[in-house]
Amino acid sequence: MSIFREHKTVADRTATDRRRHKRKIEKAIREGIHHIVADESIISKDGKQKYRIPVRGIKEYRFVYGSNGKQVGSAPGKDVKRDQKIGDQQQPGQPAQPNKAGGDKGEEYYDVEITHQELAEYLFAELKLPELQKRQFSNIDTEKLKRKGYRPQGIMPRLDRKKSAIARIKRMKAAGFDSNLSEDGESFSFHEDDLKYRHYKIKKKPCTNAVIFFVMDVSGSMSQEKKFLARSFYFLLCQFLRLKYETIDVVFISHHTEAKEVEEKEFFTVASLGGTKASSALELANDIISKRYHPSSWNIYLFQCSDGDNFSEDNDKFLEEARKICSTAQLYGYCEIEPETSWMSDAGKLFQLLRPLQGNKLKEVRINKRDDVWPAFLSLMGGTQAED
Amino acid sequence: MDYRLEDLKNWDEKIVTLAKQHGLDWYDLDYEVVDYHEMIGAMVHHGMPSMYSHWSFGKSFEQTMNRYNLGAEGLPYELIINSNPSLAYLMRENPLYLQILIMAHCVGHSDFFKNNRMFRNTMPESVIQRLRSAKKRIQKYVEDQHIGIDAVEKTLDACQALQFQTTKYGQVRRPHSEIKAEYVELINNDKDGKYKNFNIDMMPLEPDYDLLGFIEENARIPEWKRDIIHVCREEGQYFWPQIQTKIMNEGWASMTHYELCHELDLPGELHIPIIKMHNAVVRPHFGAINPYHLGFHLFQKIKERHGIEECFLAREVCYDASFLRQYLTEEDCVELNLFSYSAKKKMGITVDDVSDEIGWEQVKKDLISGVAGGSIPVVYVDEMKKDRMLIVKHEHDGRDLELNHAKEVMEHIKYLWNDPIRFYTEIEDEPWEMD
Repeated sequence: MSIFREHKTVADRTATDRRRHKRKIEKAIREGIHHIVADESIISKDGKQKYRIPVRGIKEYRFVYGSNGKQVGSAPGKDVKRDQKIGDQQQPGQPAQPNKAGGDKGEEYYDVEITHQELAEYLFAELKLPELQKRQFSNIDTEKLKRKGYRPQGIMPRLDRKKSAIARIKRMKAAGFDSNLSEDGESFSFHEDDLKYRHYKIKKKPCTNAVIFFVMDVSGSMSQEKKFLARSFYFLLCQFLRLKYETIDVVFISHHTEAKEVEEKEFFTVASLGGTKASSALELANDIISKRYHPSSWNIYLFQCSDGDNFSEDNDKFLEEARKICSTAQLYGYCEIEPETSWMSDAGKLFQLLRPLQGNKLKEVRINKRDDVWPAFLSLMGGTQAED
Repeated sequence: MDYRLEDLKNWDEKIVTLAKQHGLDWYDLDYEVVDYHEMIGAMVHHGMPSMYSHWSFGKSFEQTMNRYNLGAEGLPYELIINSNPSLAYLMRENPLYLQILIMAHCVGHSDFFKNNRMFRNTMPESVIQRLRSAKKRIQKYVEDQHIGIDAVEKTLDACQALQFQTTKYGQVRRPHSEIKAEYVELINNDKDGKYKNFNIDMMPLEPDYDLLGFIEENARIPEWKRDIIHVCREEGQYFWPQIQTKIMNEGWASMTHYELCHELDLPGELHIPIIKMHNAVVRPHFGAINPYHLGFHLFQKIKERHGIEECFLAREVCYDASFLRQYLTEEDCVELNLFSYSAKKKMGITVDDVSDEIGWEQVKKDLISGVAGGSIPVVYVDEMKKDRMLIVKHEHDGRDLELNHAKEVMEHIKYLWNDPIRFYTEIEDEPWEMD
């Protein structure tokens, strides 16, 4: 006779194994992710999209034979002839223990699929917005109702039926009342004391307000490639901010000789022709700040992407507006995009122009190729890459 | 669920009564009824009720679960371990007919574990206890602030890579001093000058195929690392007999369930799905070898040709290679239409030999070279130099190693050995060296 047992424990026997595996995958993803930061597909805002990331090294290696060994197969009822071709691919060796030995050989990478959201989370896991000061929080403090037990008094909508019913049953039992024995179908009605009400307390949660201005030069001098780089860069900033803060305002300003506030979608798709007057954008930003985002209750961030060209007669005005931004903003990030220039060329006009202002408030970065997007982002946000 | 635990017990009683009449002799069976989540967990832990943690188990769990959820894979037909009593898992979601089939199948496996001589040194009485204790020790290393999870994991990674580079029969390691004493004896009595140039100070004196054992014994490493190597080496030795008898073991268990189910007097609604299932399990896989198919076929043939006693003899003394060598005939090769093939550089994969009058012996030879762990390359410790450099060689048999893997494994060996190492093999008929 054999023994039969029902499996009882609720312990998940592979929970630790899976956690360790996940940790390994995440590490590998973080390593692999930088290659795709500037990839075109990540700008697409379709949140449902998934990304395939090449991940290295979560393979188990053993001594295995290469492809010059012979295999044996069976094929009952089929006609098999010598020298007959039965496949193109190099046939992987059949491992002795299929669940242990690595089946496919030599591949150092394999793809892991992650969602849009996960991608952003990986990217920003270890980053924080710099100098996130606690300002005066007035208008957008979040108020949350928190449950705080039960009370005998309250308003009807907060009556807890279950608790009340239980209280009544308790009282009924204590009184020795039995509905079956009750002579004339007499019921045991609710008493005032049975009624229980849910009690709530308002909890104020200070929340850090931030407004982000994205400024982009959409004049003719921005080539497709430049626009692409700018978009990648903003995408990173966008995703980062959305992820970290719930109450955040984002303002998009695109400009050529004139600036205007646009929708996010438009910001990333519309191009126009003409020269560049960078001051117009900053002027608009300053205007919006004074009207809508008072510096005493808002943390202000402004990021500007430009190719550095500007009408020279506009430079003085631009500098003046930039100073104004610096005086109110937490961070003014200026990103210059120069994909076509050779290594000898100087930085563009705006870059030079802003250099004297560089300091805590103003940071300048340059992006020349796709690989620069991630380091530029890091240097602007003042974060460091995750150490693991 | 179309059954109760009582039903399982009733059918089990019939199965064991019949099996005894057939002369089967197995360890007591200890069935655990589990849900599919637990089943997959047990599977990735190789059926062990208690297993140390490692990410590779998590990885195979995710893979198996994904395939299962996609419907690409049914769960294992059976899961039983070589322990005494034999622990076997029955998935709760399985219908009754399948449980009956699996229980009969498990009797066959347990009988094989108990009687096949390959399993003599596997210590089935203590395997569960040993692994439980190993798990505790390894967990202690993980929690030790001077060791920690990363170092433990790295050691386990390396050990798992080398897990089967150890002795296949669980022999006890002979100490170097004992071997040396033997050679001193041989040299002293050396009449025909055979040992004239023999270097008695070499280490090891003979090629040592127990790479993990050699490292465990001689590496300059902390004790916790040595202990982990020991655990993995024992585990490798424990599983080697199963690798060596995959075809026989499944063949024997399939024959057992086939015969027992025939005699169980099953009602049609149970018997017909059992026959269907049996046929699915022992069907040939085109272009590959299904061990259930080959093993079942061969045991049936042995019974036809030599009687049932011969089957019992084979299950006791053979392992897959000797089993095929002895019993696989030309007729079988033709009937199973076995053929050998390989990948050629320009041609792609083409057929080398087929089972006709001239080809079948070569096909048989090729088949034998790949079974019983023949697909695991053989490496050995050739020498430990004075400066502690470890010379490891691959015993080349015409099949080249996959170099990408070999390079990674080298890193693992280096980590465990903790001193320099050099590795020799052949690639495309040229000597190949790595360090």
